[in-house]
Amino acid sequence: MQIYLPIAEMSVNLFFLVGIGGAVGFLSGLFGVGGGFLLTPLLIFSGVPASVAVASVTGQVVAASTSGALTYYKRGQIDLHLAMYLVLAGILGAFGGVAAFSKLRAAGQLDLIISIGFLVLLGFVGTVMLIESARAILKRRSGVVSRERLPNQHNWMHGLPLRVRFKRSKLYISVLPVLVIGLTIGFLGSVLGIGGGFVMVPALVYLLRVPGNMVIGTSLMQVVVMMAATTMLHAVQSQSVDIVLAFCLMVGGVMGAQFGAAAGKQLRGEQLRGLLALLVLAVAIRFGLSLVLTPGDIFSMAVAGTGGVN
Amino acid sequence: MTWSRVVLMAGLALTAFCAPVRAETVVSELSTESVEITSSFSGERLSFFGSIGPDADADVSSLNGPYHVIIVVIGPTTDRVAREKTHNFGVWLNTEEVRFAHFPTYYQVLTSGRLNDIASPSTQAVENFDPAGQARPNAEAGWWKSALFGRELTRLMTEQGLFGLNEGAVKFLSPTVYTSRLTLPAAAPPGRYLARTYVLKDGVTVARNTEGFTVRKIGFERFLAIQARQQPLLYGLVSVLLGLLTGWLGGVLFKRN
Repeated sequence: MQIYLPIAEMSVNLFFLVGIGGAVGFLSGLFGVGGGFLLTPLLIFSGVPASVAVASVTGQVVAASTSGALTYYKRGQIDLHLAMYLVLAGILGAFGGVAAFSKLRAAGQLDLIISIGFLVLLGFVGTVMLIESARAILKRRSGVVSRERLPNQHNWMHGLPLRVRFKRSKLYISVLPVLVIGLTIGFLGSVLGIGGGFVMVPALVYLLRVPGNMVIGTSLMQVVVMMAATTMLHAVQSQSVDIVLAFCLMVGGVMGAQFGAAAGKQLRGEQLRGLLALLVLAVAIRFGLSLVLTPGDIFSMAVAGTGGVN
Repeated sequence: MTWSRVVLMAGLALTAFCAPVRAETVVSELSTESVEITSSFSGERLSFFGSIGPDADADVSSLNGPYHVIIVVIGPTTDRVAREKTHNFGVWLNTEEVRFAHFPTYYQVLTSGRLNDIASPSTQAVENFDPAGQARPNAEAGWWKSALFGRELTRLMTEQGLFGLNEGAVKFLSPTVYTSRLTLPAAAPPGRYLARTYVLKDGVTVARNTEGFTVRKIGFERFLAIQARQQPLLYGLVSVLLGLLTGWLGGVLFKRN
């Protein structure tokens, strides 16, 4: 059954959209990530214009993260104070990101930057995660009991000026690294159409030393608010949010996420992280190949002005 | 009768005498005046009908063919850029681009025979039937680059089914009545379309006619597309609320199970 996407101005199979939404939702429920980093590339590879894919997926990520964020909120596992700082910096970053997005699209370099961005970001995060999980799995095999990282261990970043106390996370640290993390993820999220959960979680754990019970909830909260703001910015500035596309993905994603979360209980943490790392690396390699391999067609075209609406 | 009137009449008679005999006229009809894009839009089939008849002051005996028909269907124009990737430092980048102003978004030519057989070179030069001729040279890029990128742009449009030359697509039912069909693809951009009909004899255009039709989004799709442009803030807000609601509802629904 074909469905017409009014902003992308193309017909796509409805089951295909709900299907990839569901598949990515399953994975996002399984691994506890938003899934934007998989969904945006999938849409681009299946012919949706990159600009529409990025802008619409931001809307989908809002839906994918909302139910999780609510659950963590009820359990009191969100550091709202910390999330507020991350979000404020993130919105600033998103303004920059959306402006850069429009400029790059006009200059014909958007696809290139999206490819490079995904390659670098996913390649880096995937490699780090793979090494970390492989180590954890090997340790468990050899029977060594690994000591949990102490959450209050400080590193040099915490000594920077402008210290703020985050009561929930039991942290008294400089806001500068918090703001830099928020800004960077806001910028990347709006250019690449990803929530950034898979960057935010390691950043909170390893850089800020946020306690484990606060990490996921705070990250989800930040993703929901950031992606909501980014969707608004894309709607206003690039006008490429396709609400029909976003809704189809949402419906599939929300359903898939529930099954994924149930399946996730069958696997151990480091196994999950290892699988996620492989998945992330596969997407990175796919982008890397598209940059390096000789393209099937060295010519491409794009509409320069804005088309009519009739 | 005043003198001026006499001069006018004489003038008219003279022009009628000197001008080549234009005895033909064409009456054409399109199967639809508006193609409506709904949520299940997957293209639409258009039919063309036409009849070549004698002009108002000529009689039927002046119709001696054989006639040929060319129908050109042109979509709304936009500015379009063609880009070329080159290999730099191991990476393929878009480095060159040429912008083509007022480039049709859709251009299909239907003919009753091979274009070069039915239209003389001079007619083709004047009427510019060929899809490849639609990219106007860009002064900034220069003639050579414009021609190269224009050809590639035409090829890309042809591969998407938006451009094409369909030789032999017009069929004659009798020496003066023809019909043709064209399937408008799902990717046909919305807007005002023109269907230009040319009747040719001995390689020269003897009659022509133009009709218009509209491809437009209707109902909910049209509403959404308009809101996205005219009320972007509201549209964004609704998108976000939809996301929040769907996420919340999903969580609630599946928890109960």
